[in-house]
Amino acid sequence: MNSVAVSDELDHAIDVMQAGLPGPEPIFQGETIDLLRVAQDLASMPRADFMSRLLVELQWQASGREITSFSRPPVRNPQSSISNYEFMPTLLGRGNEIYPFRHRNVAASAALHAGLFLLLGSGLVMVSSKAHIDARPTVSEIELYTPLDAYPPHGGGSGAGDKIGASQGEAPRFASEQLAPPIVAPATSKIRVEDTLIGPPDLNVPKTRPEGDPLSTLLALSSGVGVRGTGSGEGTGDGSGHGSGRGPGAGSGSGVGFALAGRGVTPPRVIYKLEPEYSDEARQLKHQGIVTLSVVVGVDGRTKHIEVVHSLGMGLDEKAMEAVRIWRFQPGMKDGHPVPTQVTVDVDFHLF
Amino acid sequence: MSVVCNLSDERLLIEAAQKDPSRFAELYQRNFHRVYAFVARRVHNRDEAEEVTAEVFHEALLNLQRFQWRGAPFAAWLLRIAANTVSDRRRCEARHGAGTEDPLDEVEAEVYVVAEAERRAMLYQLVDRLPADQRLVVMRRFVDQKSIREIAQELGRSEGAVKQLQFRALQSLRHQARSHYE
Repeated sequence: MNSVAVSDELDHAIDVMQAGLPGPEPIFQGETIDLLRVAQDLASMPRADFMSRLLVELQWQASGREITSFSRPPVRNPQSSISNYEFMPTLLGRGNEIYPFRHRNVAASAALHAGLFLLLGSGLVMVSSKAHIDARPTVSEIELYTPLDAYPPHGGGSGAGDKIGASQGEAPRFASEQLAPPIVAPATSKIRVEDTLIGPPDLNVPKTRPEGDPLSTLLALSSGVGVRGTGSGEGTGDGSGHGSGRGPGAGSGSGVGFALAGRGVTPPRVIYKLEPEYSDEARQLKHQGIVTLSVVVGVDGRTKHIEVVHSLGMGLDEKAMEAVRIWRFQPGMKDGHPVPTQVTVDVDFHLF
Repeated sequence: MSVVCNLSDERLLIEAAQKDPSRFAELYQRNFHRVYAFVARRVHNRDEAEEVTAEVFHEALLNLQRFQWRGAPFAAWLLRIAANTVSDRRRCEARHGAGTEDPLDEVEAEVYVVAEAERRAMLYQLVDRLPADQRLVVMRRFVDQKSIREIAQELGRSEGAVKQLQFRALQSLRHQARSHYE
């Protein structure tokens, strides 16, 4: 039998094995039977990334951090029959222990844990954790984010950052179309367009004074209190921001701040990554290239705010985001403390 | 002589891991395939095998300080944990009517399974040494359970070529496994 015929017969035998068909094995000859035995052993092989995923979990456990496992059940109560391990004790006639469930024990355990948490919270018990991570080589595709110096940082939905509170005044009238948002009118302006708020024109608001905060006690003109934050609008900044101006603003103004690598911030390092899958559409058309993502790495090493900077299309952007979503990093550090850090990640899609 | 040297090395690794838990990674990598193969032989499917294997290593790390060196390989302790973990699951399933107890006598099963596990663990490690295209075919075919046609489409090759890769991969594994035991 030539090798082509043997490989065909072997492949057929593997199909039969994987289909789990009952009954006696079909009649296969010599070498096929031999190789089929090897194939049967391979059928229970672990998945390619399982070993590395589990290693990451163990490293987190070793560092004293809480594991939010990728896929495993909670660790059992260590009060199992581990303490007196001997090599194959059943040879000496001992059996395994049985673990009945007792509600009283669960209640006692819950009370003990609650007490420990209270002690930790009160600062009476200090727990030191070793943050040592056996770091693997970092992904070469990660590039440090370089901000554009000319791009002025500003956030949305906040006040102008004036030091004093909003001056007293009334809300402008509502209009279905807005020509000018509410602002403090500078004394030098010569052309004035009536400020309006977007809303039903027939919505009446009590009018007493010029625009401002009707509840404010300040009479001096002010743009309103607000600290520039980064929000999800254009522009970046350090730290957190918040604001509460009146009227619509650009961006969401949620004020989530994150650091940029450099400027005293050490960049995050990948400790676990999952290779992305190829989309069927892209694979059929043999579409290849690099998807560039902007990613914020949180203090817990998880990825957030993943955005596509350079798109490849054909479903590859989504596949890249899916994969990067479960990457894990050692977070960026500033002055010895983890900080949320923005990085750029290139995800390479190439067919063999 | 080589066995004594290996056990001494292992003892040093264990003591290092007991002082610094991050050093457990080396013990893990040395014993992963062995534990997985042992568990896979005793459970129903890959998902459960991965779950139990993860549980075994987490428990081992949690209780590493209580391990006492008595001259037996560290793998023996890990396989003891694995055997108990699998037995606990079987009992739990039996109580809920979901599964059956292992029909083999416990001692006989354990001796057989440990030897089988060693053989399979070696085979899994030999897969890592295959050429890249053969390794990919093996992973896709046997782990991901893809058909020859699907693998051929992914690789951009003919089905006949993929079957040949599969055939050569299995031949190579059989040859290397036999050489290891001769």
